[in-house]
Amino acid sequence: MDTDIHEGEGLEPPRDGLNNQGVYIYAPPKQSKGNGERAPKRRKIHSNTAHNTVEGVPFVPLLNGEEDAESVRCRYTTYKQFWSQQDRKIQAILKEVDSKVLESVSSFVQTTSPETYNDCIPTALVTVGSNVSALSRLLSRLNSRLTTSGEGGVVAIESGDAHNLKTALKNIIRGAITNTEGSDGFQRFLTDRAGPRLLGYDLELLSDYVNRKGIKKLVLVLRDSEAFDAGLMIDLLSLLSSWLDRIPFVLLLGISTSVEIFESRLPRSSVALLRGKHFEIHEMGDCVDRIYEAIQADQDAKLWVGHNVTAAVFERWTDHFQSPETFINTLKYSYMSHFFANPLTALLADSVPANPPSTVLCEAIRNVPSFRSYCEALLENNSHEVRKLLEEDAYLLQEMQQHIKMGQTKMRHISQAVVVIQIFSKKLQISRKSSVSDVSIRALSGDLQNSPLVEDLLEAIKKADSNQLDELLSSLLAIISGQRPEFPRIEKDLKALLVTHKGAEPLRSEYHMRNTVIQTTVVKKQIKLTKSKAKLPQEVIQYTQIVDRLHAAFESYFTETLIQPQDLVMHEVFLFDFKYPLKEVFAPRSRFVTERALSTPFDYLMSTTSEAPGRQRSAKQPATAILYQLYLESGALVNVYDLWSAFFAVFEADQGDEYDERMTMTLFYKALSELKVLGLVKTSRKKVDHISKSAWLGL
Amino acid sequence: MRRQPGTELGEDQLPVSTPKRQKRTATVNYRDHEVAADEATEAASPSKRAKSTPRKSNDATATSGLNPPGLKTPTHKSKATSLFATPTKRIAASTPSRAINADRSAKRKSVRLLLEQDEDDVWDGADRLAEEILEEESESAAVVNENPDLRQTIETGTNGAKNKRSPTPEGELPPHERYFFQNRAGPPRTSNNNLNKVNLLTHEEYFEKLAYHQDPNLSEKDFLLEVHQRSFPQWEFELDEDFNVCLYGYGSKRNLVQQFADWLYLRRREDAAAPTIIIVNGYTPNISIRSIFATVATAVLGADLPSKLGSQPTEVLELLQSALKSRPLRLPVTVLINSIDAPPLRRAMGQALLARLAATPMIRVLATADTPNFGLMWDISLQDQLNFVFHDCTTFSAYEAEVDVVEEVHSLLGRKGRRVGGKDGVGFVLKSLPENARNLYRLLLTELITMLDEGHMSDDELEGEEDEGREVAGARGAGDLGIEFRTLYQKAAEEFIASSEMMFRTLLKEFHDHQMITSRMDSSGMEILGVPLSRDEMEGVLEDLVLA
Repeated sequence: MDTDIHEGEGLEPPRDGLNNQGVYIYAPPKQSKGNGERAPKRRKIHSNTAHNTVEGVPFVPLLNGEEDAESVRCRYTTYKQFWSQQDRKIQAILKEVDSKVLESVSSFVQTTSPETYNDCIPTALVTVGSNVSALSRLLSRLNSRLTTSGEGGVVAIESGDAHNLKTALKNIIRGAITNTEGSDGFQRFLTDRAGPRLLGYDLELLSDYVNRKGIKKLVLVLRDSEAFDAGLMIDLLSLLSSWLDRIPFVLLLGISTSVEIFESRLPRSSVALLRGKHFEIHEMGDCVDRIYEAIQADQDAKLWVGHNVTAAVFERWTDHFQSPETFINTLKYSYMSHFFANPLTALLADSVPANPPSTVLCEAIRNVPSFRSYCEALLENNSHEVRKLLEEDAYLLQEMQQHIKMGQTKMRHISQAVVVIQIFSKKLQISRKSSVSDVSIRALSGDLQNSPLVEDLLEAIKKADSNQLDELLSSLLAIISGQRPEFPRIEKDLKALLVTHKGAEPLRSEYHMRNTVIQTTVVKKQIKLTKSKAKLPQEVIQYTQIVDRLHAAFESYFTETLIQPQDLVMHEVFLFDFKYPLKEVFAPRSRFVTERALSTPFDYLMSTTSEAPGRQRSAKQPATAILYQLYLESGALVNVYDLWSAFFAVFEADQGDEYDERMTMTLFYKALSELKVLGLVKTSRKKVDHISKSAWLGL
Repeated sequence: MRRQPGTELGEDQLPVSTPKRQKRTATVNYRDHEVAADEATEAASPSKRAKSTPRKSNDATATSGLNPPGLKTPTHKSKATSLFATPTKRIAASTPSRAINADRSAKRKSVRLLLEQDEDDVWDGADRLAEEILEEESESAAVVNENPDLRQTIETGTNGAKNKRSPTPEGELPPHERYFFQNRAGPPRTSNNNLNKVNLLTHEEYFEKLAYHQDPNLSEKDFLLEVHQRSFPQWEFELDEDFNVCLYGYGSKRNLVQQFADWLYLRRREDAAAPTIIIVNGYTPNISIRSIFATVATAVLGADLPSKLGSQPTEVLELLQSALKSRPLRLPVTVLINSIDAPPLRRAMGQALLARLAATPMIRVLATADTPNFGLMWDISLQDQLNFVFHDCTTFSAYEAEVDVVEEVHSLLGRKGRRVGGKDGVGFVLKSLPENARNLYRLLLTELITMLDEGHMSDDELEGEEDEGREVAGARGAGDLGIEFRTLYQKAAEEFIASSEMMFRTLLKEFHDHQMITSRMDSSGMEILGVPLSRDEMEGVLEDLVLA
């Protein structure tokens, strides 16, 4: 053991030295070292991973490393292709959502000047709420707009850039000049100036620059204006207003709480220097819905995220304060994991590398649960087919691709149905509230079939008047006509009927309240209510027929479309539904992990030998884990001496004769220092040689 | 006999005077007879008597003989409490008010029965009551009989520390309850032991011992590391897709990061250009954000680096960003940050700047975090910029480079500086002191070492000392050894080091301030001076002093 350590140390003396260096550029391991001399660990990595990768692709061959390079590459390129398509759509949506605010802000910037505001600083107050990233998008677009037109530029500073007035000004000046000139240009600007050299925070520099460039608008952005020190803000504002005649400032304040709170922090004299407008980057809730819809319900979509993922993503969105970027990233990550870890995704590519059919891939297909249940179902009447599937790789691939295509079509129909339901509830004003996410989750879990929601919709059709139905059909037709030919026919009939209809009132079916008559009869001292149809004109009867047809059509449409996606053959390929990586990757339970590692270390240290270590405390556990468990048993205040005695009792009991007190003390030191670094204990002044506990397990 | 006063009182207070009264008293009397008989038999056994004495006194103090404690409705619960209850509860059960209530309700019951004029019922009720009382009495007596000792201790324990509660609550408490239980007000409930008896470790000893330590879980830890290594391609893919990676979990991840760097390098060696990798050790005490940015800028710009980078980290960062914008790199720059939550980087300012670095295109960050609550460092906008994906990388490796173990423990114990100086520290201080002081210290050391050599201590002491001293590699040495104040003063005067006691004390004060000497009172009240150094260290210092 002893010699091992020395060898290990001897191998890389220069690298150990680097541990104490704060920051350094990585130097590759020495080439001179022959293979035989390499540390065993390093060799392990080579054999495991380094040789196992495919050139130019970050993906690893799956299926025990037996996947061929072509499929790996295929998965990667398909991922790239899929996500770039989705990303384009998302960016378009974001751009569109932003554009309204952008237009109003930029028109504000362009039209206002100190003169229009009688020498106050023109100020745009932008409340961003949780949507922090929207502001940076807005700013970069505003900046590019202003710089291309040569009117000026945008300088954004954060509270971190402004500890004091000097640094704030320095950063503003440098930011403004480098924005157009680049950092070299800034240096040149400083040195080329005639006259006495000015200090970096002199606004004279900026006014010089403004004059030279003929800048008309200099937008100064304080991104997190609430985080700025109030005193600094006051100084900065008064300074800016005094330079306003020489530098055309326009102030843009990012506010995450509310304008009132922001205003209350400043004295009235400072507020009086500002005048402007309030802009609101509206909350991104519906933006997220739109993004989700764009990804899921697109006509060319080939991959869907399942209800688990959807639920997890939307839960995080509603429960946490998040920007839409985080939302998008979560979706992106699920795409990434799907292609990275699922060898079957090679089948999603436009051109599958089918010849020669990869045997491992086919084996993998045959092990997929949905394939198995498909075969079992098939076995009852067509065992020949099953045999063929199991034996002929080429046939299997061909069949499965067929199935994937079919499955994809069905998935598309499901997501369409979600859209249909959305439009439905909007047009017919169903009171039940259902967001895209809600309906999608239920649709993707196969819950919507025969659900009250759908039944309500069908019921609403019967009661709808002709105008509503007409509107509904015309907006739905584009989506579902391709799939169901009866809808256009019904629509045509309805239109024809409406042409003949002359009345001011829209037509109502006989199911509508207005067309039923309630008769009250008194029979044997009891009141009897009977509903009966009023005498109906011919039009209404015809209309009712149409409504009936429509109702039946929709009913069959919903029953056929809203199937359970998990029943589709090969759904594993085009449906990603593991919420596990997403949750852990984006919302780590770091404290839980640390506590678990320390309280039950053998969860992690899986024994390579056969004997399973018990749960009880023993010297076999890492020292820090032992100390932590003792620590858990102690009160808020811990006597270190007692802790130490308990600690060594564990070792004493375990090691018997070989027991070495100083060694145990060494381990105790190590463990205690680690607990301190992890922030679990801190010094206590209450009593000598005591420490206080600062974390409770499970809290 | 004990019963008598209570019942009589109850009898007197009976508000109704009906013919039944006679009967009632009769029943009571009947009951009393039985009780008396019972008591009599009880009294016959000596153990009984022993038990009844403390109890009686208790009754006298707590209830002033007003009522029989047995009159409350006898339920199984009361049986249970008499068996297992804490002493305080027992007393509470027999507080006067409670007993009076019980009494009254009994009275009320009997009154009601009388008003209803149902003789049989009255009789039965009273009888039943009497029976129940008797039953309970004998039961509790039996219980007491079984363990008189316990009873005794409980009774005596009650007047003592009522607040003596154990720090660990009984049973499984939910975490929040446990928190409040352990944090309730009151004096600390820990023992008064301290570490004076224990020899603390020095840096040297710590590392010496550690080198011989054999890790029982070595193979498991290696296996764990290997599992993490398998994720290297995944991390790289994530970095490629504009995510940054954050590794968390218990154990040092420094080696893992280093191996990731190696892996990245080896993987790309086929290409002409090697990847640019910058490694940051966040735990280094003197690290600055600016130096990180400067290093990244150096790596990116190479020879084109301007001679003056600017003193503010933001300046360097902006230079870096504009450089990246103006000359698109073929390969991204990878920044690996060890311990991004270490104290030197932990401040909000530093994190904000690092987040801006991480958000820079073409810069990929893989950071590791050690503390369990690292997530609190980043607010929503920082999270947005950092764009981390998190991976649990529990390694169980020792924080060798990250933690200065001995220093941390000593600062935790508030013993910083006690031995921290050691030999070098003492030598350093001495160098800056005047000649006189150095001479005095030399004198002190000489005296102490001669004392050690001559064996001023008794044989056993010395033996024990030696044995232990050998075992702990000389860390202990002269801890208990000392020279008497007067003696040292005289010697100092002889050598013309100090001409007056005043001056002598001034010199000593200097040593005290630097914790170079220890002083204590011995049993006869004489001041004994010593040095907090081991023998080896003393000799080393003396050598330096003489040679200098």
